[in-house]
Amino acid sequence: MTPTVVAAMLACLFLALVGSTLPLGPMYANLHPDYVALLVLYWAITSDNGAGYLPVWAIGLLQDFVVGDMPGAQAIALVLMVFVLYTGISRVKKFSSWEQLLFIFALLLLEQLAAWLWQGWSGVLPQWHLSLLVAPALGTALWPLLTFALDHLYQYFHRPRT
Amino acid sequence: MPGLFFRRPVPSVLRLAALAVLSAMVSFYSLDHPGLRIVGLSVARPVFWVNGEIRSGWTAAERYMRDLASLQRENGRLRKRILSLEKQDLSLPVLRSENRQLLALLDSFPTPPGKVAVAEVIAQSLALGSQTITVNLGNLQGVYVGQPVLAAGGIAGQVTETSPTNARVALLSDRGSSIPVYPMGSGQPLLVAGTGNPQSLKIPFQPRNTPLRKGTVLVSSGLGGRFPPGLPVGTVTAIRRPVTRSFADIRVKPAASLETLNTVLLLWPGARARP
Repeated sequence: MTPTVVAAMLACLFLALVGSTLPLGPMYANLHPDYVALLVLYWAITSDNGAGYLPVWAIGLLQDFVVGDMPGAQAIALVLMVFVLYTGISRVKKFSSWEQLLFIFALLLLEQLAAWLWQGWSGVLPQWHLSLLVAPALGTALWPLLTFALDHLYQYFHRPRT
Repeated sequence: MPGLFFRRPVPSVLRLAALAVLSAMVSFYSLDHPGLRIVGLSVARPVFWVNGEIRSGWTAAERYMRDLASLQRENGRLRKRILSLEKQDLSLPVLRSENRQLLALLDSFPTPPGKVAVAEVIAQSLALGSQTITVNLGNLQGVYVGQPVLAAGGIAGQVTETSPTNARVALLSDRGSSIPVYPMGSGQPLLVAGTGNPQSLKIPFQPRNTPLRKGTVLVSSGLGGRFPPGLPVGTVTAIRRPVTRSFADIRVKPAASLETLNTVLLLWPGARARP
């Protein structure tokens, strides 16, 4: 992985964290996709050697700090999501595009629910909220567009210079 | 590829389990050591800075669309003025409804609200039950943990974490928030707690024959010394008395619009006032 690609990844991660906390009202707060989870999914799928669990965990911890959730909640949720991805990806590759999208939705939902349940460590389980379902659905809808954009970004940085 | 310490790669399940244990340790550690979250708040500073810039840009674009420069300046001045006046008006309904002389005799006259500072909301997290906002003032401006935060209409919450330049505020609707109140015109001490829903708070552990009625206005009681007495907290919107339960299910609508906060007031009540 070249330094340019790493820098581009970090920039995307930064933008994803910004997108997660933008103070644009209640509608946005509850109904925005988990950009960081989407980015980690893309990275885990496209990376040649696969995404390391420790970097994914560190990204999740950073997200916990930025969003203000219980530290460790998003971290383990992201690792769990990547674990399930790698467990099932060989079978899912044979499926149709729509079925693959369903798999993406399941992964995002799993990540969301894992983070939600982990909040119970604080002694208070957060209330069930519609955004727990809506955010993964929006993330799934955004997935084709995101992969299209990131594929182009990746190819731009790998373009031979003349 | 073999690891540094292991001859064979560690199975994924073991790595997952190890990271789960690590996450649990971090979570437990953060419960007793708020310093960890404060470090996190500092780490997130660049993100909040960009958020602030985007917010400012958004606001600036909106104002530009109005295309009236003088009105923009006047609007800015008036907004701050309105917030100050609203802060002063918060205690007026209580003052009108109570007998001043009797309150003076009881030595419970509402204390002056104290010094305030206007802060802008630069990040929000209303999902997952964690109802928090982050504002653009911090330790350097004298913000402290436990500081009351007001918004147009009433109390919004209190500061839970601070860094030099930012502070995180747990709203009244946060699942971990609670505030001592009393109903207007009555001295019955009550506790209003968050539910994770910014539009609805609750009063737990009230008997089914509670004298509370729909429409009862609740104001801060000042018990505990954290919030000044007499500031609006909310209005009782629904009381259900399920026969299968010992307690009534009482819902309260917050006086402040907790889900649409753009600007808040940080309050330094009385003795904690700083220059």
